[in-house]
Amino acid sequence: MKFKAWIGLTLLLIVAILVSGCTPEPEVEEPEIAPETEATEEEVAEEPTEPFRIAFVYIGPPGDLGWTFEHDRGRLMLEEEFGDLIETTYIENVEEGPDSARIMRDYAQQGYDMIFATSFGYMDHMAEVAAEFPDVIFEHCSGYKTADNMATYFGRIYQPRYLSGIVAGLMTETNSIGYVAAMEIPEVIRGLNAFTLGVRSVNPEAEVRLVWTNTWYDPVLEREAAVSLLDQGVDIIAQHQDTTEPQKAAQERGMLSIGYDSDMGQFVGDSVLTSAMWNWGTYYIDTVGKALDGTWESHQFWGSMDDDIVMLADFSGLVPQEVIDEVEAAKERILTGDDVFCGPINNQNGQEMVAEGECMSDSDMLNMSWLVEGVIGSVSQ
Amino acid sequence: MDNQQLQVVLEMRGITKRFPGVLANDKVDLTLNAGEVLALLGENGAGKSTLMNVLIGLYRQDEGEIYLGGKRVEIHSPSDAADLGIGMVHQNFKLVRTMTVAENIILGLKDLPFIPKIQEVTKRIKALSDQYHLKVDPSAYIWQLSVGEQQRVEILKLIYRGASILILDEPTAVLTPQEAQELEHVLEILTSEGKSAIFITHKMEEVMAFSDRVLVLQQGKLIASRNTDETSPQELARLMVGREVLFRLDKEPCQPGDTVLELKDICAMDNRGLPALNDLSLEIKSGEILGIAGVAGNGQNHLAEVVTGLKKPSKGQVILNGKDVTQNSPLQMIQSGVSYIPADRIGMGAVGNMAVSENLSMKGYRKEPITRNGILQPKQITKFAKNLIELFRIATPTPATRIKFLSGGNIQKAILAREIDSCSGLMVAVYPSRGLDVGATESVRKMLLDQRQRGLAVLLISEDLDELLSISDRIAVLFDGRIMGVVPSEHVDSETLGLMMGGVPISALPDEAVS
Amino acid sequence: MRVVFEKRQSISRQAMVLVPVLSFFAALLLGAILLLSSGANPITTYVAMLRGAFGSTYSFSETLVKAIPLMLTGLGVAVAFKMRFWNIGAEGQFVWGGIAGTFVALFLSQYIPDPLLLPAVILGGTIAGAIWAGIPAVLKAYIGVDETLTSLMLNYVAILYAQYLFYGPWRDPEGYGFPGTALFPEAAWLPRLLNRAHLGLVFAFIAALVLWFIFNRTRWGFELKIIGENKTAAEYLGIKIARNIVLALLLSGALSGLAGASEVAGLSRRLQTGFSMGYGYTAIIVAWMAQLKSIPVLFVAVLMAALLVGGDQVQLTMGLPSSVGLVLQGLILFPMLAGSLFTEYRLRIIRQKNEPSISPDQEIESELQS
Repeated sequence: MKFKAWIGLTLLLIVAILVSGCTPEPEVEEPEIAPETEATEEEVAEEPTEPFRIAFVYIGPPGDLGWTFEHDRGRLMLEEEFGDLIETTYIENVEEGPDSARIMRDYAQQGYDMIFATSFGYMDHMAEVAAEFPDVIFEHCSGYKTADNMATYFGRIYQPRYLSGIVAGLMTETNSIGYVAAMEIPEVIRGLNAFTLGVRSVNPEAEVRLVWTNTWYDPVLEREAAVSLLDQGVDIIAQHQDTTEPQKAAQERGMLSIGYDSDMGQFVGDSVLTSAMWNWGTYYIDTVGKALDGTWESHQFWGSMDDDIVMLADFSGLVPQEVIDEVEAAKERILTGDDVFCGPINNQNGQEMVAEGECMSDSDMLNMSWLVEGVIGSVSQ
Repeated sequence: MDNQQLQVVLEMRGITKRFPGVLANDKVDLTLNAGEVLALLGENGAGKSTLMNVLIGLYRQDEGEIYLGGKRVEIHSPSDAADLGIGMVHQNFKLVRTMTVAENIILGLKDLPFIPKIQEVTKRIKALSDQYHLKVDPSAYIWQLSVGEQQRVEILKLIYRGASILILDEPTAVLTPQEAQELEHVLEILTSEGKSAIFITHKMEEVMAFSDRVLVLQQGKLIASRNTDETSPQELARLMVGREVLFRLDKEPCQPGDTVLELKDICAMDNRGLPALNDLSLEIKSGEILGIAGVAGNGQNHLAEVVTGLKKPSKGQVILNGKDVTQNSPLQMIQSGVSYIPADRIGMGAVGNMAVSENLSMKGYRKEPITRNGILQPKQITKFAKNLIELFRIATPTPATRIKFLSGGNIQKAILAREIDSCSGLMVAVYPSRGLDVGATESVRKMLLDQRQRGLAVLLISEDLDELLSISDRIAVLFDGRIMGVVPSEHVDSETLGLMMGGVPISALPDEAVS
Repeated sequence: MRVVFEKRQSISRQAMVLVPVLSFFAALLLGAILLLSSGANPITTYVAMLRGAFGSTYSFSETLVKAIPLMLTGLGVAVAFKMRFWNIGAEGQFVWGGIAGTFVALFLSQYIPDPLLLPAVILGGTIAGAIWAGIPAVLKAYIGVDETLTSLMLNYVAILYAQYLFYGPWRDPEGYGFPGTALFPEAAWLPRLLNRAHLGLVFAFIAALVLWFIFNRTRWGFELKIIGENKTAAEYLGIKIARNIVLALLLSGALSGLAGASEVAGLSRRLQTGFSMGYGYTAIIVAWMAQLKSIPVLFVAVLMAALLVGGDQVQLTMGLPSSVGLVLQGLILFPMLAGSLFTEYRLRIIRQKNEPSISPDQEIESELQS
């Protein structure tokens, strides 16, 4: 009998689908009758009325004021740059993992020309979808898999992180700095190590206390992690997360912090001394420009401070001039070739990992899985 | 007490309460004097609890009035009753186990401040408990207390709220003899201060020890009112149970065969770890019905569970057809041919949400033809069910109807059908006709008699004396987990039975009562 | 005047059909209010949701992808709930299915011949899920530990352990340090039927039929049914309750484990973040809405998956924030769940005369027991 109820419901659904199919709804496009061939024909005809359609897949909401906020700022810069030539859209809160493939495939089927995915967990699935849609351009942020129609892009955020470490190292009073870190992956480890090297380059006595949250985006957990560090006596909080919660937690305790992702000082206040921040807009404008004029090629982009994709945000009023001078000097050294991960660098056990006069290769940096001397905490491997 | 002036505090006049198909109270009058302990005596279903529930506002009488201190009162709820100084200690205590004694006592008080001053409350409770010898620690949690202590908390709760009339429902049923004595003392102090108490009971001993006056109820009617020191247990027993047996079934003379079941010195504990059966010994022969008489709650269910393997005795032996089966599982007992008609039909005997046919096969499903190699045979189940439905005249729309939609009598017939069909030695039947109408009752009893003719041994546990007298061959009386005595049903008189049910062992009775 | 819920004496056929249909429309109406208040056209949105879930072969296949784990875990939960065993650990059992499947696929592949590898992966996951469900079952059946707590807590253990594995010892050495195990060898891939919808669909259908057979046609199922309906009766009938509860829970966990193993072998082909999207929790809703019946679980799972997939369209095509999609999903579920309550119960408004709050039957009962 209950079976019947379900049949009824299913029938109802089917009827609803049929009815909806008959209703004239101008807003909705028919994905089936928008095959790729037609689109390419239009491209050949070079009709200017058809905008180039770009979709962004976000891990969090643009309102996080951090990671996704910065990507969305880049998207808005794109719209400003290209105006009517392009049309952009985004989807927020997309889980990493198999589910994301559905989202990207959906965009590709809707006829989007270019898709950006902004978290490492989308990599496999983007590669899978890219293989199915050779005419769509795919760009994956922070991963390593590429294809003819799939590129990767990322920035050497470790450079501004090192500089922000100098600020922290000079301004800590307890010689103890807290670091709220998301995932145990090379990207995060690299940033943490760079920050610690920056701290210890000006203050060899200081230590960096580490807490893992195992999540990119969880405001409550990020705050709790920061509070636990503050309880251990740190007086500056740095972080690798997606929101400003650790900064707020520090401010509420009257402590200082170093921001990440965006210019967090804008949202939190003067207690954020500076931030290692992203500036995706320049890259997005560059790569979309190439796609528009047909010169786009697959690539692995890892931009530095030189490329403006990463930068140090403006200093807060609390940072004294001599600290700023020290940072400027270090920035000069980095830009002239003396990069952050050049020896001598010891790991936590005091064992030398990079010898004097040597520098780590990009591939070693991308695989970094050990912590430098001065970090209090551990990685699982 | 005697020197106190007789002052009527409570009067109930012509109380009538009907339930569908039952006249629970029929024009009952009750008066209560200040400083008096009044006992309400009667069998199960005599209407004692209904009368008291009317008094505390749980039920509303259909007819009759209640006067308190000469003024007519309307009692709509227990809180109305509490305002009038009437409180009741229920058989199942209404206490919150995770709260302290003090918290329980003030719980639900109307003029309680938002944050109660627990210190003052505690002090007052201490004073009251000293005054009335109700020893209990106000800061203890309920779950830490023994049953007797919990009862004291209930009584304290009533005194704390200024109750002047206390109703106690079977107060000693859960108490040890020592605790019962303490309760007696508490009642003395209470009445010496002009408070009155009514207690519901069926125990003769208690009536004689505690009460000043006793009212006897039978089938909803007030039968007699006696001053306790002017009556005897014998008279009360006769009043309580003495009536014409409603109908007698024709039965063949008993031809007992071999001993089927023998219980030797059985002891068993209840869930609280208190003794439920004490050194109980019994014997049943094939072709015989042994009736177990007694008021509910004296160990009947435990006895049935020990015999059917559901409960392991802490001491003693269960011998079935000469074999020691004390440690057998319920399944082994079933397989040895023991059938069981439990007291709780829907709770235990049947599965309400399953079909009549499925319920009928719940004993036979382990064997062919109902299952073959572990696979059920629906056709066989239906065939089997149809056969039993016809044989036992079970009124059901179809064999596939869920059994809970059947009437109580038909559910019972279905259980009986299943148990009789699967029985091959001993049949244990507990309250088999309880709640059934006259027709169903008669057919159930006939079926039991038929089993006796078939040569089975039947252990019939009942609280219905008519039933026991009309179909059993011998009657054993159970009181407080002990057998008070075994008498042949043909020669027993209601006075003897009443006395034994009230806790007087047969050995203490004069010889002529037994003959 | 009081309002009381009463269990219906019998459930009418009309109610069975009408109530879900009516509650479905009530749900749409509720959702429409939300959509209007966020400035979207409800009809356009619903059409977009329907299209997203069923509009093309592709979208239908994606709905099935999500429905497969919901079907299997839903069946698992239904088995446990039929026994009145509140197993809310389907998520953990699912995760263990994934862990064990991964273990077999990655670390036992050199010992197992290729044609047997996939069956071994599926079997491994199934057994692991069964064991994980067996823990709360044994604790409950033999010691009386409350199963809601134990099964829930064990979820966290499973989820965190899986995380530890793919962040730590099982991390793909060639994965540039990214969390996630290496890709399974191809012999361990579960074949896909339609786009990404994999063979797990067939497992789910077979499982539903097998469960139906067990509960309706076997002696064991008959005993389980009795235990679930009335434990006292089961004990009285000589049925071994503890052992049967444990066995039923092994079956329940096995189904969730099977779901987990199918998910890793059929979809991601490695253990990584986002492997479970809370299927084990959604399964509880699926099982309830299907009233714990095996075949309806399949349909409800599809419906639920459609709701999840369609909900994304609120963002994808309508450009509304993802939170609106989530609230919409919740709003649609709510009347449907409430509706299933109304098929079993009815509301009755009682004008208080001076009648007792207890029904006459109960009164007589209490009178008899006094």
